[in-house]
Amino acid sequence: MSARSIAPERATLEQLLWVCACLGLALLAGIATPPVWVTITVLLAAAVRLGLAVRGGDVPPRAVRIVVSGVSIGLLFLQYRTFNGLIPGTALLTLIAGLKLLETRTWRDIRVLVMIIYFISLATLLEGESFWLLGYMIAVCWLTTSTLLRLTGAARNAGWRRSVRYAGRLLAQAVPVAAALWLLFPRFGGPLWQMPDDGGGAASGLSDTMSPGDITNLAMSDEVAFRVRFASGAPPAAERYWRGPVLHDFDGQTWRRTEGESAAAPSLLFQGAPYQYTVSLEPSHHNWLFVLDWPSRWSAPRAFLTSDYMLIASQTISQPIDIVATSYGRVQAAEPLGETMRRRDTRLPPGRNPRSLRLAQDLRGAHPDDRGYVEAVLDMFHREPFYYTLQPPRLAPDSVDDFLFHARRGFCGHYASAFAALMRAAGIPARVVTGYHGGTYNRFADYWILRQSDAHAWVEIWIDGRGWMRVDPTTAIAPERVNLGLKDAVEEGVPARGWRQRRPWLTDFRLRTDALRLFWRQRILQFDSGSQERLLAMLHVPAPDGQKLALVLAACLIAGMGWLTWTVRRELEVRPEDPVVRAYGRLCRRLAAIGIERLPGEGAEAFADRVARRRPDLAAPVTALCRKYSELRYGTRPSAAVAGRFAAAVRAFRPRGSPGSS
Amino acid sequence: MNRPRQLTRLRRAAVSRLARWSARRHRGDTLPFTVGRQRIYIIPSRFGVALALLVAAMLLAGLNYNSNLGLAFGFLLASLAVVAMHHCHRNLLRVCVDAVTEVDAFAGGEARFEFSLRNDAAVERCGIEIRCGDSAAEPRDVPALGGSRAVVAIPVAQRGLCRLERFELRTRHPFGWFRAWTYVHCPLTAFVAPLPRGARLPAAAAGAAGAVPLAEVRGDEDFSGLRAYSAGVPLKHMAWKVLARGGEPAVRSYSGPAAQPDWLDWSALPRLPAEDRLSQLCRWVLDGESMQRTYGLRIPGTEIPPSRGTRHRSACLRALAAFPRTEARP
Repeated sequence: MSARSIAPERATLEQLLWVCACLGLALLAGIATPPVWVTITVLLAAAVRLGLAVRGGDVPPRAVRIVVSGVSIGLLFLQYRTFNGLIPGTALLTLIAGLKLLETRTWRDIRVLVMIIYFISLATLLEGESFWLLGYMIAVCWLTTSTLLRLTGAARNAGWRRSVRYAGRLLAQAVPVAAALWLLFPRFGGPLWQMPDDGGGAASGLSDTMSPGDITNLAMSDEVAFRVRFASGAPPAAERYWRGPVLHDFDGQTWRRTEGESAAAPSLLFQGAPYQYTVSLEPSHHNWLFVLDWPSRWSAPRAFLTSDYMLIASQTISQPIDIVATSYGRVQAAEPLGETMRRRDTRLPPGRNPRSLRLAQDLRGAHPDDRGYVEAVLDMFHREPFYYTLQPPRLAPDSVDDFLFHARRGFCGHYASAFAALMRAAGIPARVVTGYHGGTYNRFADYWILRQSDAHAWVEIWIDGRGWMRVDPTTAIAPERVNLGLKDAVEEGVPARGWRQRRPWLTDFRLRTDALRLFWRQRILQFDSGSQERLLAMLHVPAPDGQKLALVLAACLIAGMGWLTWTVRRELEVRPEDPVVRAYGRLCRRLAAIGIERLPGEGAEAFADRVARRRPDLAAPVTALCRKYSELRYGTRPSAAVAGRFAAAVRAFRPRGSPGSS
Repeated sequence: MNRPRQLTRLRRAAVSRLARWSARRHRGDTLPFTVGRQRIYIIPSRFGVALALLVAAMLLAGLNYNSNLGLAFGFLLASLAVVAMHHCHRNLLRVCVDAVTEVDAFAGGEARFEFSLRNDAAVERCGIEIRCGDSAAEPRDVPALGGSRAVVAIPVAQRGLCRLERFELRTRHPFGWFRAWTYVHCPLTAFVAPLPRGARLPAAAAGAAGAVPLAEVRGDEDFSGLRAYSAGVPLKHMAWKVLARGGEPAVRSYSGPAAQPDWLDWSALPRLPAEDRLSQLCRWVLDGESMQRTYGLRIPGTEIPPSRGTRHRSACLRALAAFPRTEARP
């Protein structure tokens, strides 16, 4: 290496500012990931380094840097106990970026920082999923790359605007090849190696317990739980119950799932028409999947039905997934209820809710028949002053008593809880099912959106000879809930929502953006080997497989490289503004291709004469074209149409090298 | 550099082998030289190799986490590198090196080659570096449809001819991920004059310190006749009318007492060793020029008739530079 290359170029203040800005922007997107103190350390490091640079100083003393690095990396290790995994790894990377910034002195250091910024951007994208995030990260990558442009050669003296524009052009030229790679690069489906599960992301949506007020909180949330597209026709509203956690254990206030039961699902006799649909679940960080009552087939690998017909996945849902499933609206049990299950679903906590128990005994006395009893309870809800509200009062520990005899105001959870308790008190096996109901139809893309506000709770009771039967006690209070949805059914407590409904264009806009979001999710985020096979099939590749995919990819890459070479070299060409001159250039090139080159400085007419002498067969067209050129070029300025005709005439002129000519 | 020395040697060997191969393939380039497509070599720089490893790691992470966005970002960077490779190659393509002027050099100083770069393309060429051996000019930009100059200074220790078989155009544009270069096999020669040393040229033309006055007296004042043209004569002394009439090139001579032409003579310095004599003569040549005197140079094998001007000075310095080295003489 020569002396010049060994002497490292000093980073200027401007370059430091650029790289600090890029680092800041990159960290901004993933600000939530690393611990706060790491972010603060990075900020401090940037401030110290920039402060020193402003005062013409250099890096802090070596001892300081070593102590800061040692202490902060040690702290980080103490916090996570590992650097393996996405979150600890990202935190470490962030910290290292700050430490590197502290010791940045030369261009080489800036290049290292740029690579760290690239990797931080990637780490952010591994966790995120939105379209905007990708756009933002690409913009950060653009700026970071522009920083590099300001390091090489004398271009660093030019304006930053030019650097940014040039880097942008390069990025734009990179897009086609990147798109081909992304579309056709083989996907492996599963992880190549198992990374430790960070458990990142809080569980959202329904949980596996339900106290009377729980679902009320969910009802305030507009967050999407999942989206559903029916293959052909959606079931009526009365059948659109999406089954989630089924709860059995009641302690007088809270319903819970029974732990540790692993019996297989009792078989069902499916009746009526099947509904086929695709559920696109948002990550809930629970392990249950939402399917329409009652599921018969599903595409999720390794998912199974529990004895109470909950569909459980093998892992928690931490990434959006699609499940294709088939359900039937009506079923009948094929086998009688097992004794353990009957005992489990008729158990009530001893000594709790005594008034309700008495009420149940009274009603049972009047209605010994199961169906009559159910009707009587529903009738009581309907007849007596019960209210459906999003602002229920707090209930005493004996929640059923308090609800039935004092409060009488509640949301679906209250009614389901009270109803199930009354059923059990009369010896009818009953369980609470939580899930979602209804949904919003998106007419722009033909699918249903189920939001957290569509969360619902209902009850299933066992009727001998028929099996489990869904009873939704809420319908007795607010029948609109089933037909129109929550917003129309609730009498009070839906704040600041009415204004949205008064503006239909806003609703339309929200539906349209949601359709785009679903498209992004299904076509981009969930793009996999199956999508690649469909893509190849669209390209009429017979029997697509991995090998053909590789072949198509190779062909695309070769074509892409050819295109790049052409397009990048073409920028060298000086293209005359005047279309007439351009057309004349084309004429000269075509004649040069058959061996008659225009000499430098040779006029059009002289050239035409020479062509005519050497190739008498071409004399007429060439002379005409050249004369036309002189006329257009040196006469009055031709209109666009005339110039276009000349250009077309040149394009039509295709001379061939004839063997007879010399 | 804490890189293993072995690797450096290997790299150097590979580079010199490539240069030799290239020399065999395209020997005898002439200026002006336009860089052709087949003359450009390109390899990733160390930064580029590091970036390749980074992108590979990114793609592995993207595949492992099954993240299509991560993959998209990784592929975008990968193809950005490919685009950068094309731009790096293009940055040299069709650049034209117009002329190389050697400027006089002295032993122990630097031989300076001035290159003028021309760019006939519609885009700017950025950060083009010219290297001669281990010396390089600062990278510079050549504007679209424009030109730019670069000076390469090569340290020269000894008097004599400094000859370069080739020079190199290099670029790391745009991001420093790739290095493209080309060899131009056009021999360059710099005449390295001896280091000027010794006594100054005396003010008077009294023959002291070896400056021998001419027998005939010539000066600027009075026109005395014509004499034959010799290289290095100031242009204003040319007899243009004679030339215009179709005669031989001639120089007007003037007679006058003001200018005492000096002969700077090798034989007038008998006691000094050869190199020191040359150094002394070099000193006098420079002094003669700066004092605007008329001087001639006489060394064994060469005699430059008295004159003055930059070209005359250059001719004298070249004669001193080209003087065979002492070791070769008996």
